[in-house]
Amino acid sequence: MLKHPMLKYLKESGPHGTRLPFIMCPGCGAGQVLNYTLHAVDSIIKEGGARKEDFVFISGVGCSSRLTSHYLNFDSGWTIHGRALAIATGVLLANPDLNIVVFTGDGDAAAIGGNHFIHAFRRNINVTVICMNNGLYGMTGGQVAPTSLSQAVTSTTPYGNIEDAFDLCRLAQSSGASYVARWTTAHPHKTIKAIKKAISKKGAAFIEILSQCPVHKKQTPVDMIRAFKAMTVPINKAEGSSKIPVGEFCDTPRPEWTQKYEAIIEKCAGRKS
Amino acid sequence: MRKIFIRTDYCKGCLICVESCPKKILKSSSSISAKGYTLPQVTNTEKCNGCGICEIVCPDFAIAVEKKDKAV
Amino acid sequence: MSGAPLEKKEDGIGAAGLISSGRHYLEGSEACVEGALMAGLKVYGGYPITPASEIMEHAARRLPMVGGRFIQMEDEISAACTLVGASWAGGKAMTATSSPGFSLMQETISFSIMTETPLVIVDVQRPGPGQGYITTSQEDVMQARWGHHGEGPIIALAPSSVQDMFDFTIEAFNLSETWRTPVLIMAEETVAHMREGLFVPDPDQIKVVLRKKPQDLGIAPEDYQPYGHDLVPPLADFGDGYNINHVSLAHHPDGNVANYNLDMHRKNVDRLHDKIEGNADVIARTESRFLDDCEHVLICYGAVARTGVEAIMEARKTHGIKIGFLRLVTLWPFPQSLLRKRIKKVGTIFVPEMNLGMMMHPITEALRDRCDQVVSIPSIGALHRPEALLEKIREVVKC
Repeated sequence: MLKHPMLKYLKESGPHGTRLPFIMCPGCGAGQVLNYTLHAVDSIIKEGGARKEDFVFISGVGCSSRLTSHYLNFDSGWTIHGRALAIATGVLLANPDLNIVVFTGDGDAAAIGGNHFIHAFRRNINVTVICMNNGLYGMTGGQVAPTSLSQAVTSTTPYGNIEDAFDLCRLAQSSGASYVARWTTAHPHKTIKAIKKAISKKGAAFIEILSQCPVHKKQTPVDMIRAFKAMTVPINKAEGSSKIPVGEFCDTPRPEWTQKYEAIIEKCAGRKS
Repeated sequence: MRKIFIRTDYCKGCLICVESCPKKILKSSSSISAKGYTLPQVTNTEKCNGCGICEIVCPDFAIAVEKKDKAV
Repeated sequence: MSGAPLEKKEDGIGAAGLISSGRHYLEGSEACVEGALMAGLKVYGGYPITPASEIMEHAARRLPMVGGRFIQMEDEISAACTLVGASWAGGKAMTATSSPGFSLMQETISFSIMTETPLVIVDVQRPGPGQGYITTSQEDVMQARWGHHGEGPIIALAPSSVQDMFDFTIEAFNLSETWRTPVLIMAEETVAHMREGLFVPDPDQIKVVLRKKPQDLGIAPEDYQPYGHDLVPPLADFGDGYNINHVSLAHHPDGNVANYNLDMHRKNVDRLHDKIEGNADVIARTESRFLDDCEHVLICYGAVARTGVEAIMEARKTHGIKIGFLRLVTLWPFPQSLLRKRIKKVGTIFVPEMNLGMMMHPITEALRDRCDQVVSIPSIGALHRPEALLEKIREVVKC
């Protein structure tokens, strides 16, 4: 039987039982995002852009964050709700040569993790943040999130959401991220390309991927993917459109945090007797 | 003819592969997996060009296809 | 006032940017950082809070001199989280905070216990609750053990001097690497801000422990179990090629998540308990004087040990009271069997603390059958004066 080519990057089983299939619901977008990410990573490794041992995956808590719980055949950490970026900062400071990819969800990144979100991008630490945005809190039962649309009916907005949603890409961009892009699970090749570009660049990158939660939205995965195609417009054609822009929001390299700190170490080492 | 392999213990019957196949050779079937999921089936295997889109979009890594350069 | 950075003269720096051996005169905060650097500190993630900020400032200045990296984070939660990531990537890491910040770090501490991540957190205690006050205190000593959610023991040390701030910080790192656990240094404002002589031994006299790694034990990556192999599992660093998955949900020894498996979770909790509490006799330390013939004993810890020892010396010398002295070097795991070994039968056990009576409870539990009574001597926000302690001792002993 021919194996899926990306299974070599997963732990299918071990001495204490099998790990696959993923815990995610049928048709959940998170599994697709992992698939796209591994394709991007595989491409980078094959082209000699990085070694497999240099990749580290950090996640917070939530359905998207389960990707790193125990499935990856990479170094990984499944951490605390909202704090993946803070932990990733520590990883980077101890070893700036590691390629850090953060998996997060919209609630994890922008609600409880909001403070760390804006500061990680302000600092431009060398990390690629992949945010699976399904507009709600999936793991806990479909509550409203900072990315839920106005009037959305969720388990905690039974009368309709009276709040407006963050535009996570604009938030990342204005905080200082050097590379920001938005795609959806309906755009596999664009997403793979964006993730590959983000990982290959130094600095803080933010990739938002609109991702379906069929269970809480009560729609089929296929219908939701069709809807992602219909509700989005390329960013260069977004002017005047009410659709959600997808594409690259910015690609503005600037000095990365550890690169700047290196100058301090060199100066202090020079001052040592 | 390129072979398409479906891991019935991983597939959750989401049918995203069916939707995504550009040659429309995957369809829903009447087969149910051991976990109770509706499995996709392959029809018209001769039309498969090994593009691999089904592999890329599968959330559960449950489908694999012989690529263009591995065609028999 | 220009925006140029303040130049600070760094005396006493020796080889590799570490403090030179010999005598120094330092603030407790500075001694703590020098000890951490000696132990191999590589990453400090901090956040300002009175009275702990000096530790962070000293780290900011000194870390790049040894090739380490300092970062001031956006809050205490992220400061503590930085240590987790750094440790996973093989960098010894520390932060210092005070009581309100310590509260914020509890989730991260709980997470570090379950993932068995070595790191060091210094709590320079100040009175509470709330903003409380900015003087000295020992009000967090119970929080140190019970403040994090869930079961899971921890190691906590109580320094009493500038020398301790240096020595115990090295010991804290060694304990964290040996037992694969977070370690707390429960300092107080008194000890962090006091300025005293510090003696730094020659580097070859200083023991620095490195974590046990699977490659040291000949375990191949495909056979590695991050929570297995031993009571204290070997720990691979990120980048070692061991594909380690850090998981804080109930897990099997190989890191597989234990879904619907309460038995496995029980095993997790029991092993964490056995690892630390089960080794309390090896981990915990006390220091004592005059216990051989004492009729009463004063048990204390941290800064209180300084005035406590003065009070008992005076009681013995001037008033002929046969009172012994014991200080808890380790608060947790609580050295219950050590106390029972040292104290056989006394009249009164005096427990002065800068709180309303916290460690007096496990002390009472350990020694109630070995004494007539336990007398707590509380003080809030200030160190007990030796005269006040002596007066209490004399009042109770009726001498």
